[in-house]
Amino acid sequence: MFFPNQLVRWCSSALLVCALSALSPADEPKPKPENTISVHLAEPVAPQKFAAPVKFWISDVTDRSGNPQPMLVYKERGGIFLDRQPTVIVREALEQSLKAANLLAADATSADLTIRIYLFHFGLAEGSMLDFFGKVEFSAMVKNAKTGDSQEVKATGTSIAKSAIKKKNLQKNVEEDVEESLQDAVRNFLRGQQLKDAVKELTKNSDVAPAPAESPKQ
Amino acid sequence: MGKRIGILMVFLLLAWLDAGAKEKDAAPLYKTAEAKHFTQVEGVELTPAFGDYFYAELRAELKKSKMAADVIGEGEAVDDADAAQSIVVVGTITEYKKGNVVTSSLIGFGVGARSLKMDADVQRRSDKKNLCTMHIHVKIEPRWDEKTMAKFAAQQVVKDMKKDLKPQAQ
Repeated sequence: MFFPNQLVRWCSSALLVCALSALSPADEPKPKPENTISVHLAEPVAPQKFAAPVKFWISDVTDRSGNPQPMLVYKERGGIFLDRQPTVIVREALEQSLKAANLLAADATSADLTIRIYLFHFGLAEGSMLDFFGKVEFSAMVKNAKTGDSQEVKATGTSIAKSAIKKKNLQKNVEEDVEESLQDAVRNFLRGQQLKDAVKELTKNSDVAPAPAESPKQ
Repeated sequence: MGKRIGILMVFLLLAWLDAGAKEKDAAPLYKTAEAKHFTQVEGVELTPAFGDYFYAELRAELKKSKMAADVIGEGEAVDDADAAQSIVVVGTITEYKKGNVVTSSLIGFGVGARSLKMDADVQRRSDKKNLCTMHIHVKIEPRWDEKTMAKFAAQQVVKDMKKDLKPQAQ
């Protein structure tokens, strides 16, 4: 038989358990093969033509987003995760594009300019309720290893994709959105006026020969 | 009578399909289009995230409109040869009112609505000549998110651009 004080104790314990279970991250999404996406460039981005033939080397990619879960791109509905760290994805995308245009040096010592990337945002940003807002933002320190001079180049890529109701479509849309914003950011960097000016400034006093063939783009 | 209505409906359907096909086949008016982040006048209290989102929406709408063969990112270099056939969209947000939920609920008819005013210019890249100027005014329910307002504003900018620039190009 229950006494009133025992009953109160039981009820308060039950309430405490309920409150704790509500507070505990029981529905915290976990990466599984079915909720993991693989983000790649659809095709390498063709960089602009520079006045002098230069070779780049990506020295390092640092995550400066301050995001404690950089691989979690979408938290609701079981979550959507990236298969690799954003820093790895960005590095791969830049190297792939530079390599395709024959602008990637074999190693750091043979490079004319080294690039250090600081990644500020990768994935989805806060958008309206009607769609997904993909955003990739980074800053690059382009450095001439011989002279030690460096210049900062900023790049941003954005993309808008429709939202979806079915989880499968939602995942597909998020993947496409992030891929497109990555493509856009890489393009913004490699075809940007800032990189053009930085390369011109950093190679003007070095022994990099001017490009003999093809008139440079703008 | 019924036969005549049927024939009329078929004609209307054909005309609609033809208009759609023409719209699809139309060649882009410009080689490249670049959207810049809109500036804000003093006193406009919008978050920096609004500016980024509006920029992304504007680019997405420009892509959808197919006015330009290529919608480039802010600060991207363009071939000298293409500069004369390229446009840049610049603008300023001149006024933003948060709106009032109570007033909107009690009175309605646009009273207490969240509102945004912006001036936008479309410039030719080569000589910075103004091709068109737009004054955009968007009103939404005060309960709605400011990002939704950005979406509507971007749609309005591109719609006005199309209306002003198409006759010039023809």
